[in-house]
Amino acid sequence: MNPPNEDMKHIDEFLKTALRREEAPPGFAEGILARVEQQPTVKPKEEHVPWFHLFSRPLVRWAAFATVFASLIAGSIHYRNVRREQAKGEAAKQQLMLALHIAGSKLQLARSKVNGIQTSQPDHERETNRSRSKS
Amino acid sequence: MRNVNRKSLLSVFLLLVSPFLRAQEIKLPAEVEKLSATAKEIVEVKMDGPMLRWASKFLSAEDPDEQKAAKLVQNLKSIYVRNFEFDKENAYSSTEVDSLRSQFGPPVWSRVVGVRSERDGENVDVYFKLENEKMAGIVIIAAERRELTFVNIVGPIEVDQLADLGGEFGIPRLKTKPSSSNPLAKVEKGDHK
Repeated sequence: MNPPNEDMKHIDEFLKTALRREEAPPGFAEGILARVEQQPTVKPKEEHVPWFHLFSRPLVRWAAFATVFASLIAGSIHYRNVRREQAKGEAAKQQLMLALHIAGSKLQLARSKVNGIQTSQPDHERETNRSRSKS
Repeated sequence: MRNVNRKSLLSVFLLLVSPFLRAQEIKLPAEVEKLSATAKEIVEVKMDGPMLRWASKFLSAEDPDEQKAAKLVQNLKSIYVRNFEFDKENAYSSTEVDSLRSQFGPPVWSRVVGVRSERDGENVDVYFKLENEKMAGIVIIAAERRELTFVNIVGPIEVDQLADLGGEFGIPRLKTKPSSSNPLAKVEKGDHK
């Protein structure tokens, strides 16, 4: 049986051998770096921000408000213009129909007068006219 | 260079001539214009080609009368209507009407209808303007007891279609005997004065 001092010496020696400083083999660092590069990079997890959080910024809020307001004004102006144009068109249409009606009614008046003259013409006269037109 | 000169000469010529071309427009005589002061009601419609085209865009395709009107005006150059309505009879004299009639004569205008009725006091004249044997315009002068109407339509027009439109708007059509396909042509022979 070894005395306790001997045992301690052995352990001490063993540890010294195990923990002795040793130089890395050549190319060790490059190998490590190459393996690191080969490994897929893990992206940091993105934080999901809801779209309406954009409006938490006052500038964006004002810009959105101004855009909506401008669109409303432009829309109402356009609508008013369209209505005005339509009203003018309707008025022009009414004028046109009135003009055509007056013209048409006066033509009918002329036509009725002519037909009235023809019907009041004596029969023998009409016969003479007819025979003249045939010849 | 020569082309440019020709073009510029042409444009200068057109510029000089355009006032005279405009001057060919029919104008109501001053005597007739004066009737505006005594008339109870005046209707004046003046529409040129682009205006007619624009107005016809608003004509409904579902309404048969408006459909007819759209067809009628599609090739017209202008429409001018002046109607005076008076409170009492004899508010105007034959001088005014004669001054109006005197503007329309040969060779440009030919009178196809001329009705003088002492009984009704209704006198109607219809003049046609023909260009290359095609209808190029119509003038109607209707002098009634309490009404004086002047119509001038420039452009190719279907007279029968126009007469058809006279019976619309809830006003009953004048019942005339269809004595011929073109009743107006018959009067041309007689030319009642």
